[in-house]
Order: sequence, then C-alpha cells, then structure tokens
Amino acid sequence: MDIVNEILEREQKKAEKYKPITVEKHLDLEFDVGSLLAFDTNDLDTKSLHSQKDVYLHTLSRDNAQLLLNKVWELPTERIDEAIVVRLPPPTTVLPRAKPVPKPKPLTKWQEFAKAKGITKKKKDKSQWDEQLQKWVPLYGFRKAAAEKEKNWLIEVPQNVDPMTDMYEKKASEKTEKVAKNELQRLKNIARARKVKIPRVGIPITSDKASATQLATAATVAKASTASLGKFQDKLPKEKEARGKGIHEIIPGKERKRKAPLPTPQAERENNLNLLDSILNKRPKIDMDRAVSKYIHDEQVQRSEEKKNLKPSKGRFKGKGKGNVTNFSAKKPKAGRGQRNPSKKNPGRKRR
Amino acid sequence: MGRKAKFDDEKKVKKGPGRKARKQADPIFKKGLIEEDNDIKKLSHRQKQRAARRAKKKTELAEKRKLLKQAKKNVAKQKEVVHPDNSDDSSEDEEVQGFTDDNKEWLKPKQKGKSVQKEPETESDSGHEGSDAKGDSIDEDEIDKPGNEKYKLGTLDDLFKDSDEENGDVDSDDEATGSSNKLAYNSDSEEEKSDDDDDGDDDMLPIEKANLKLKKKQKLDKKLADEEMQLNIAKQDVFAFPSEEELQNPTSLQDVLQRIKDVVVVLSDFSSLKEDGRSRCEYTDLLLKDLCVYYSYNEFLMEVLMQIFPVQELMEFLEASEVARPVTIRTNSLKTRRRDLAQALINRGVNLDPVGKWSKVGLVVYSSTVPIGATPEYLAGHYILQGASSFLPVMALAPQENERILDMCAAPGGKASHIAAIMKNTGALFANDANKDRTKAIVGNFHRLGVVNAVICNYDGRQFPDVIKGFDRVLLDAPCTGTGVIAKDPSVKTTKDQKDIQRCFNLQRQLLLAAIDCCNAKSSTGGYIVYSTCSILPEENEWVVNYALKRRNVKLVPVGLDFGTEGFVKYRHHRFHPSLKLTRRFYPHTHNMDGFFVAKLKKFSNVIPEPVKDEDDEETENKEKDEQPKEKAEEQSKENADKKSEVEEPKKQKNIKSNPLKRPANSSETQLPKKKKKPRKQKTKK
Amino acid sequence: MKILSEQRTKILFEKLTKYIGVNVKLLIDRPDGTYCFREKKDRVYYISERLLRLAQTVKPDHLISAGTCFGKFTKTNKFRLHITALTYIAPYAPFKIWVKPSAEQQFLYGHHVIKSGLGRITENTPKYQGVVVNTMSDIPIGFGVAARTTAECRHADPLATIAFHQADIGEYIRSEDTLT
Repeated sequence: MDIVNEILEREQKKAEKYKPITVEKHLDLEFDVGSLLAFDTNDLDTKSLHSQKDVYLHTLSRDNAQLLLNKVWELPTERIDEAIVVRLPPPTTVLPRAKPVPKPKPLTKWQEFAKAKGITKKKKDKSQWDEQLQKWVPLYGFRKAAAEKEKNWLIEVPQNVDPMTDMYEKKASEKTEKVAKNELQRLKNIARARKVKIPRVGIPITSDKASATQLATAATVAKASTASLGKFQDKLPKEKEARGKGIHEIIPGKERKRKAPLPTPQAERENNLNLLDSILNKRPKIDMDRAVSKYIHDEQVQRSEEKKNLKPSKGRFKGKGKGNVTNFSAKKPKAGRGQRNPSKKNPGRKRR
Repeated sequence: MGRKAKFDDEKKVKKGPGRKARKQADPIFKKGLIEEDNDIKKLSHRQKQRAARRAKKKTELAEKRKLLKQAKKNVAKQKEVVHPDNSDDSSEDEEVQGFTDDNKEWLKPKQKGKSVQKEPETESDSGHEGSDAKGDSIDEDEIDKPGNEKYKLGTLDDLFKDSDEENGDVDSDDEATGSSNKLAYNSDSEEEKSDDDDDGDDDMLPIEKANLKLKKKQKLDKKLADEEMQLNIAKQDVFAFPSEEELQNPTSLQDVLQRIKDVVVVLSDFSSLKEDGRSRCEYTDLLLKDLCVYYSYNEFLMEVLMQIFPVQELMEFLEASEVARPVTIRTNSLKTRRRDLAQALINRGVNLDPVGKWSKVGLVVYSSTVPIGATPEYLAGHYILQGASSFLPVMALAPQENERILDMCAAPGGKASHIAAIMKNTGALFANDANKDRTKAIVGNFHRLGVVNAVICNYDGRQFPDVIKGFDRVLLDAPCTGTGVIAKDPSVKTTKDQKDIQRCFNLQRQLLLAAIDCCNAKSSTGGYIVYSTCSILPEENEWVVNYALKRRNVKLVPVGLDFGTEGFVKYRHHRFHPSLKLTRRFYPHTHNMDGFFVAKLKKFSNVIPEPVKDEDDEETENKEKDEQPKEKAEEQSKENADKKSEVEEPKKQKNIKSNPLKRPANSSETQLPKKKKKPRKQKTKK
Repeated sequence: MKILSEQRTKILFEKLTKYIGVNVKLLIDRPDGTYCFREKKDRVYYISERLLRLAQTVKPDHLISAGTCFGKFTKTNKFRLHITALTYIAPYAPFKIWVKPSAEQQFLYGHHVIKSGLGRITENTPKYQGVVVNTMSDIPIGFGVAARTTAECRHADPLATIAFHQADIGEYIRSEDTLT
C-alpha cells in the first residue's frame, strides 16, 4: 500500500511539476503546422498584462506553444534511427522573402531588337532529315559534326577561287570566326548590361595603353625633368603643355609659382594707377579727328563772321582807314636814306 | 563502362540549354572601365538654361493667351452686365456703416438698389468673376481717390456710376464724358434711367433693347418687393434665427449678407435682442459660416480672425481686405528729393500726394496716365514701388550712418534699399534671401537705386549666424502666411490652415533667434533687431517675439512709430510678456495700409542663455549687465509663473522654471545649476 | 571675389577710359577710402575695400553680388559695360548727349539715338567716343558710342544715327535676370 501510495504521490508530484497539456481557450487558435505557426486571436487580459507583464506573457506563450505541439503530435509519426519524427505538411502561410526580388536580366542586343520588331523565337526540331545521307541528323553536337564529315568527304574548289586553297581549312577558320564573333557579342552584351565603357572598335584602353592626355602629361613632365627644370628644352611649333586637374602639381618646378600673394589694397591701388597711366599715355596726344574738326569748326565760324561783317560794309572800310591811321609799325624801309639811329632797331631792314 | 550509376537520385541535374556545355563565367571588368551609374545624361549648363527659358516662354505664352481670351470675354460681357462690377465696392462702404448707427432707415433703400445690381453677378458663372474683380481693382486704383474727393459733393451713386462709365469706354475722352455723366447722375434716379437708355441704344440690336427693357422691369419689380420686405423687417425688427432647412438650403449671397448684418446687430446687444433659448455660441457659429460663404474664406482662418477681432471690427477688416490698398512709392533719397520727384511725376500725368506726415519719402499714387513702374524716373532709380506698410519696419529700425546692418529676408530689396538710403550709402548693408531667384530682384533694385554699400547673399536665414555676426542692427521681415495682405493675394483666404501657420511660426522663431544671434549687443550705436511680418495672426507675431524674449537676452523697446495699435498681451489662452504692448500692429481698415506687425528688440547681452556656455568673457559681461535689467527680470519671473497654462511645449516651460538661467539677468549664484557653476567658481578662485 | 589679372584690368581700364577718360583715376584714387575692382564669375564689381573684407566672409557660392557691378568679361575676353555702372559713369563722363522727351522711350527700348531725337550734344565730341545719354532734365538714362562727331551731327539728316546704343536703364526691366 505504502509503495503504491508512494508511487502515486511521486507521480502526482511529477504531474504537478509539469503543467497540463490541455489548454482552454475562448477561441480556437489558427494553425499552420507546416511552418510551425499558431495565431492566437483571443484578446489579451489587459489587467494582468499591466500588473505583471512578464509572467502573463510567459504563461500565454507557453500555453500557445503547448497547443501547437499538440497539433504536431496529431500528425502521423515515423521512427527513424530511434528518433520519433513527424513529417510536416507543406506550409500554407506565405512568408515574406528575406532578399529582394532579383532584378530581371537586361536584354541582349538581339533580344531588344527582336522585341522591338516583334520577332518571336521559333521552336526548331532537334534533328533534321538529311536528304544526302538519308538519315536524321541533329542540329548540333558531335553527331552533327560526324555527319558533316561524312557529307563533306570532298569539297569542290569554286571557279573563282585560287585552286590551291584548302577548303577544309577555310571552313574551319570560318567556324572559328563565327565562334569568336559570338563570344564578342556575348561580352558586348555583358558590358552593356554592366555599363562598361567600351570603344566602338578595338579593345578597351587599360593601364598598359596610355591615353592622349596621359601621354601629353608624361611628355610635359619629362620635359621639365631636367636640371634646369626644362628651361632650355626646345619646343615643337604648336606644342601645348598638358593642362588639367592635378597636372600642374606633378610638373617639377611649377608648384612654387602657384599663387602670387594678394597685394595689399595700397599696393593694388598703386598698380592700378600705374597701369592706368600707361593706358592714358598711350593715347595719342594730338587727336587728329578732333584737330580736323576743330579746324573745320573754326573755319565755319570765321566764314560766318565774315558773312556777318559783310553786311555793314561801311563799318569795314571805316575800320580799315582807322587802322591805317594808327598803324605806325609798318613803315616803309628807307634803305639807308633816312637818318641812322644805332640805338633804335629797325625791324624792316637787313643789317650787315 | 556503360552509363554511370546514379547513386544519389535525390540530386537533380539542372536541365536547360547547354547542360553539358561548360558555361563560361562572365568576364571581370577593370574598375576604371565601369561608368558611373547615371542613365540619364546630364544636361549641360547651357542646355539647362535653354530649357528653363523655353519653359518660361511657354507659360508666358499660355498666360497671355488666357488673358486675351478673358479680355475678349470681358468685352463681350461688359455690354450686357455693366453693373455687377461696381456692386462689390458699393455695398462695402455702406454695410460697414449700415448698422453702426441708427440711420438704418435712410441707408436701407440704397442697399436695395445695390442688391438689385448684385443679382446678375450671382447669376453669372464664377469663372468670370475673378476677371471682373480684377478689372474692378484696377479701376479702383485709378479712380479711388478722385472718387473719394468727390465723395462729399455727390452721392455715392454717382461715384460708382462714374467708375462704371469709365469701365465701359475707357478710350473715349474721359473728362468730357465723365463730367457730363456726373451732372446727369446728380439729378434724381428717373433721369438717370433715361440717361442710361440714351447711352445704350445707340448701337443695339432690337433684341438687346427688349432684353434691357425686360431687365429694367424686373429690377423695378424686385425693388418694390424688396422695399416691401424691408418694411416688414423693419417692423419685425428682431432677427429670427434661421431654421435648419434654411441653413441647409443654399441662399443667395444677398440673403447671407443680410443675415450677417442681422447677427452682428444681435451680437452687439445680445441680452436684449437674442432669441430665447439661443446661446451666443449658436449666433457666432452662424456668423462664422455666413462670413465664410460671403467672403469665401475657409472656416479655420475665419475662426482665427474672429478670435482676433471683435465682431464689428472683423466686418470692417474683411471689407477692407477685399479692396486693394492705394499704390505707394518711396522716393529714393540717394538720387532725388521728394519734391523734385513729385514735380517730375506730375509732369508725366501722375496724380499723387504725400503718404502722410509720418513719412518724408512716401507718395501715394491715385491715378496715372503712364505705367508707374516704367517711367524714366523709375528706371533711373528715383523711386521704388513699395507698400506704405513696408516703410514701417525700416523706420522702426532707424539705421544710422556707418553701421553694419543685416536684412535677413530682403527680396525684392525694397526695405533693404530704404535702409541704404537712410544710411546714405555708408557703412555696410547685408541683404540676404533664401531664394536664389529672388535675389536677382535685389541685385536689380539695388543697382537701379544706386545702392553701393551692399553685399547680397543667398543663405538660409537660420544659418546666417554661422556666416557673419556682429551687426549693429538686424531687420527680419519674416516670411509669413500673409493674412495682412489678403487684398494682394486672395488665395490666402482658402489655402491656409493650422499646419501652414505652425510651419510659418516655427520658421519665424528660428529666424528671429538667428537674427538676434547675428546682432551685436556691444555695438555702441545699435544692438537692435526689428521683427516684422505682413500677417496679423498673433501666433506669427506676439507669440514669436515672446518666444525670443524667453530664449535670448533681448527686451522690447518702443517701436518709434506714433501710430498703430498696440500688440496683444493676451490672446486666447496665451499670456504674453506685458512689454509686448510696445509692439505695433497695423490694420487695413484702420490705417489704410496692409496688415502689418512691427516689434523692436534691443539685445542687451551677447550670451545665449540656453546652451552650455564656455566663453568666459561673455560671462563677465553678463555680470556687468546684471544690474541693468533687474526690474525686467522680476516681471519676467512673474510672467513665467503666469505661463503655466501655455500648452505649447510644456516641457520647455518646465525647463524655464527650474532653470532660471534662461534669463541671466535674474540668475543668482545660488540658483545656478551645477554645470554652470564650475566656470564661475574658477573665476572666483582666480 | 577674385582679384583681376593684369590683362583683364587693362581691358577694363581701356573700356572705362573710353567713357570717362582720365576720370578713371578718380574711381581708384578716392578720398573716402580704398576702392578696388574684383571679379566673380566673369563679372567685375567695384567695391570699397572695407566692404570687401566683410563680403569675403560669405562663401562664394552664396555671394550674389557686392558693391556695384560694372560689367562682365565675355567669353572672348572683351569687357562689356553694364547699365549698372551708370551710377559711376554718369557723373564723370565728359561727353554727353541729351535726348528729347519724345525720343526717351525709343532709347529705353534699346534703339539708337537718331538725329531727330537729339536734344543737345557736348561740343567737340569725337567719333566713336563713349557718351552718356541723358534726358533733357539731366537724368542719365544710359550710355552709348557717338556715331558722328558734333560737327557732323549738324549736317546729318533726321534719321541718321547719332549714337549707338550700348546700355540703357530699361534693361533693369527687360533683362533683370542677366544683368549681374
């Protein structure tokens, strides 16, 4: 009896230790067992949520986990390697993806063209009936190659070609050309998709082939790299020094001249005044136009005055007569016949 | 040999083209080869310019076309609907007076006449209304003043008829017809009608004549009916509160106006005139709705306005906001004198007068035969077109010669050039504007007006203290909602809401703080900041200034203008600092200029109170200044206590209370928080 | 705000001397302070040294203008005088043309001054001399280049051009955006 009781008690204690596997819920949960998901649509008990948040949330999550596990155990079980395993059904809930949706691949040039023109791909048969060989020959692959070989056991040299050409070689080279072209186009498409600069012809410039500006820079630097900083180097007729950002700094002997110090306001004023003086001095002292116009002007004035004076003719004569009376200076030279006065200078006479 | 056994069939080999072919990996490109990832080719500078020009041209063309169309329509319309144009302004003058005094009796009949005229407008589609109004306003510019002068002589009627006439046929020689018409209209109304007829039937189709006749008859009928109704109303005398249906059914504007007036009357003597069982609230709500309908404001703005003004004043304000203010010009004292300019302009056929005793440079233009913005005098920079209200902040700033002055929001440079003119081109003037396009206008105006001492720059005003500080005076004409200049830009009526206002005053606060920071308190002549807006909302004015008072070491000083109304100290739940009385407000209805606000602040210390300070020299200065504003500090502390109720930023408010440092003036050693104490202690040790 | 290179200074002065002759010296040598020419985005500003020091605190990207804009260097490195320089050109110009009120408007729209619009002209104006154009009430409204000498003007026919238009104050409205 004791033992039984003891065992029962122990069992009970054990049971008390674990919570019951049955959980009562007001509303049933929604399950998605495939992704081990349960939705609890019941309202939260706000009172207990506020009073003891952690405990409440803990018990709630335990209960819901219990319900989910119950659901899992309802599924058929298997035993693999001593372990009980449940095969989950496919999940019903659509989960958001972690990574962004991959971008569509950029179209190749042909695809773009086909799209624009509305060309659709036609499905070709994998093999074709060959009339000559009287059998089905695949479009590509080693059987095709073999068939080709069988067919072309002899190739005629056309009339217009050099009779000594090896037609087989020619064909092979054509094939390699084709492959190469295809490869080039593939690379071009990739380059286009990745927005890589490629020249229209030739191969892209890489570090092993310098650009024109690089060459020019190198030349300029090289030229300046003498003991006298390139002062005595000859110049080509139209040679230009390399220019651009950062080039000036790498040319030897150039850095120091970089910036002239800003002049003080006074100095600047002096400079300006000097410059202005030189400009003003350069201007012709005698302005020909002005002189001519002044001359014309004077002439006009004179003429108009003459005109004015012409009218009162009486006055003119009068004036002249008067002038004659007062004019003592213009005496007729007497040519030595008159009295000589050595102290008086006579302007009209030549002295010997 | 044979096929390979498939030991793990779980692993699937991918199917697809080239299953067997070894796929080549994509090539690796060198870094230098990869282009930058800009798909769109950038336009070059020139291309951009060209595109901008093209777009501009296009819009201009479209606008022109639109205008042309409208003009055409107007011409077509004018023949039919001559009256609606002047109905607006005619009603205004009266309704303001209509109910202020007891002379309802003799004013009412006229009102009827107006209402008759009003009718066609309400019928006409709203599309033309705008253009009509435009035409109207232009008309008014020209006619306003002579009209007012004649006011005393003739009746109101002839004034409007006069303007009307000019509206109709502007090109005909105005004076002759105008005077003759005037004579005719001065006689009684019967003659007037016959006159009208004579004028009209020169070139009218018979159908038009018939139409005119019919209209006249209708008018007469309506007039009679109105008279009857008015009689009834007069007898009734008490305004009956409209029922629900009445409210819901849309009524004519005329009825709304009538109702507005009635409600205003009721509200003016509420206890005796109210209907039993109706609260004041109901009446004000009704008024609000009616005003919104009549003046086409949105409800929010109207509500705000109602809180600012008492009802009677509100009506005046609304009416005044409908009419454009007279054009004013400011003489450029750098280039000419007012008398010379007035003489020159009069010679060009401009009718003008001094703006008032308060300004020595302002001139009001009543009418002009030449475009006032394109005369040789204008181009030579002898004057600038500027609203009268724009003189005020500069006069308040009172710049002195040889000072360094900042105008923070200068475009288009009217006020800034005024400052330069007062300084007589000495000192240094910084004109800043945040909008790069608008700085071009400053450049143009400055060069035109011969301002040579200015630096024009383009910064966000808020960053300006980082650029340069130490100005003697700072003018901040802050960007605002423009509620003071509704007449200029009627879109304000409907577009502004709480968010806009909030955005505005937040910006204004930051700008004002920046402006204060730019100013130098130690300046011997200045240390003044003038804050102005063209808004009348206290949120953008007093509140902003109040905010700055709390956060910087500034105090308000008298503005120096002997007119204008005092700023608010209380507004709704806000209690501002009592010194805000020193600010000045200007309203369109009382001062006949745009609504405006001007506040003048004096900075008394360069210390910025809020953040932690580490400049010792400023601290010492602070101490020195302590004594000076002591009384002020007391006031401030009192007010802080008052401000408990302030809703906005309650946390900051708390800060203020706990941290008396906000105003270093009343801070004493004991109250200083620990952070602050350290440097001071060091000081004392030294 | 750059200092002008010597070459550009020379070009600038040469242009200025065309209009105001020796008076350019008065612009540089002023009793009320040192004034200098500075260049920003090919535009030349005339600015007092004191103001310049203040203006230099403003970052070049944010500086729109300082002092008075005199004009700009074209792409071909010629200097073009702007109307904004009129403030300084007008008082110093030795040669002037006055236009009749009827011709003011014409000139303000960018047309040349023709004989019929000519009110007065300074005596002895040489050909191709820079002149300031005034109204009869002595308001300077622009500047131009004399197309004829004064003497030639007397005998010119009424439609003959007397002065070529260079800049006029109407540009403040017509080309506000490109002015500076």
